[in-house]
Amino acid sequence: MRANDGISFDVAPGEICGLLGHNGSGKTTLLNQVIGLVRPTSGEVIVAGHDAVADPHTARRLCSYQPQTHNPIDGITPRQAVRLMARLRGATRREARDRTEELLTALDILPWADRQGSTLSGGVKRLTGFAMTAIRPGRLVMLDEPTNDVDPVRRTLLWQLIRDLADAGCAVLLVTHNVIEAERAVDRLLILDRGAVVAHGTPAQLRGDDADRVRLELLAVDQATAARLAADNGGTVTGRRVMSTVDVGEVSNLIAWAQRQRDRRLIEEFSVAPVSLEDVYVRILGSTGHRPGEPVDDGRRS
Amino acid sequence: MSHWLRSFLLILWWNVLSSRADLPIYFMVQTMLSVGVVTGLGFLLPTASPTEAMYLCTGSMTVSLITVGMVLAPQTVSYRRQSGFLDYQRSLPVPRTALMAADATVWTLLALPGFVLSMIVATLRFGLSYQVSPLVVPAVLLVVVSAVTIGYSIAYLVRPVLVNLITNAVIIVSLLFAPVNFPVERLPDWLAQVHRFLPFQYMAELIRQTVDVPPAGLSAAPFLVLAVWAIAGTAIACRVLSRRD
Repeated sequence: MRANDGISFDVAPGEICGLLGHNGSGKTTLLNQVIGLVRPTSGEVIVAGHDAVADPHTARRLCSYQPQTHNPIDGITPRQAVRLMARLRGATRREARDRTEELLTALDILPWADRQGSTLSGGVKRLTGFAMTAIRPGRLVMLDEPTNDVDPVRRTLLWQLIRDLADAGCAVLLVTHNVIEAERAVDRLLILDRGAVVAHGTPAQLRGDDADRVRLELLAVDQATAARLAADNGGTVTGRRVMSTVDVGEVSNLIAWAQRQRDRRLIEEFSVAPVSLEDVYVRILGSTGHRPGEPVDDGRRS
Repeated sequence: MSHWLRSFLLILWWNVLSSRADLPIYFMVQTMLSVGVVTGLGFLLPTASPTEAMYLCTGSMTVSLITVGMVLAPQTVSYRRQSGFLDYQRSLPVPRTALMAADATVWTLLALPGFVLSMIVATLRFGLSYQVSPLVVPAVLLVVVSAVTIGYSIAYLVRPVLVNLITNAVIIVSLLFAPVNFPVERLPDWLAQVHRFLPFQYMAELIRQTVDVPPAGLSAAPFLVLAVWAIAGTAIACRVLSRRD
């Protein structure tokens, strides 16, 4: 079975590139191929001009990697782990100490800085893993689901630090399932399915025609009403909920129509929102399996 | 400081820190095992001749080193493999040999107290006196390095679920079915032949002849055979550590 097939893209310094895709779509395999834990059967991986397949040691020097699993910090404290990683990547003692304090402060995890790794919550472990990766970043920073387990407030801090890495000149390649957050935080997205790129581009490019459409969501009084509304006006039904997309020019008519349905007590509530990237993602991949969409070409290699 | 040495020292520090909580337990179990083998075998052979006593004494010292290198080390590595710790270390810009050396250092330091204690207990139990050669130091290192690298190769190549089975078999073989605690002549011919190709016999010979130098002097054979095992073990372990799936 091919884990990855014909994937070709580049990430520029200063850019955050998000990798989206279902579980098992090949995202982690791709990162492992870059870092030299998995050998691609063919093709090339170039990191800052170096052939990562032929010389994985140089690739590891040029890349910083936060794996999907928790970083192994059992028995050591976040402060020790982050300093150790800085020293392993060539920082002096003083640099390691100062930068560690900066990062732990920026991530707001100082209260846990001297607690044993095994006693930490999943979120603090994940943030420590990020700090271990970002403490002395390589030219390419690869983050595999860095926001998992992290609370909403610290997630915002984390996204800011990821942006800081890019602003400092790192190329950032990041895997996530959180499409909504990715839309706000990344410069460019690649959607993988079964080891192949099925769409890529900026969030706006991926939205494409959907950029001029809005999403109408209705909550019907019962499932039969929901089915009837969907049959009459289009849309998909999930329980009592009906979802459909319409042209943005129709919004005022739409709201008037929805209000009438509410007055007739056919629906309990409704909402109108711009089509999100999550809608696009679901449209491209389908909710259960492969439904390739048209790749959006943004002029880069595809 | 060279990149290798810096990596080695930092990984060594990391390993010591991360297994700090377990090290005292390892130390206790390993020490009890080393002392227990001497006293336990003493129950089996209450009236051992001086030659038999020397075999039991140096044999249990060898078993204490084998336990660390070929039982504790592979079991720990196997756990690290499952937990993702090993892959994380492999993803760092650290030479593979430095990773190996840092681990081997921890295991060597852990093996030494049991080694010395079993010698002391055996001396008290059997009233032995020794003619210790200074070459006992490289001999112990060679036995530990070959045991650890073979242990590592087992841990990397075998599915984790089988590692415990194999390491248990190693202990039973080295205690009862290998010419470690008794002369090779006591084994059936076919088993003696098999042991010509396994490291246990040479490990025991090396420890025996450097702890109590025979009148005829030291033999180079066990040094050479174990050096080959150590080189092969290191090569396989480094190869597997560098392997890309």
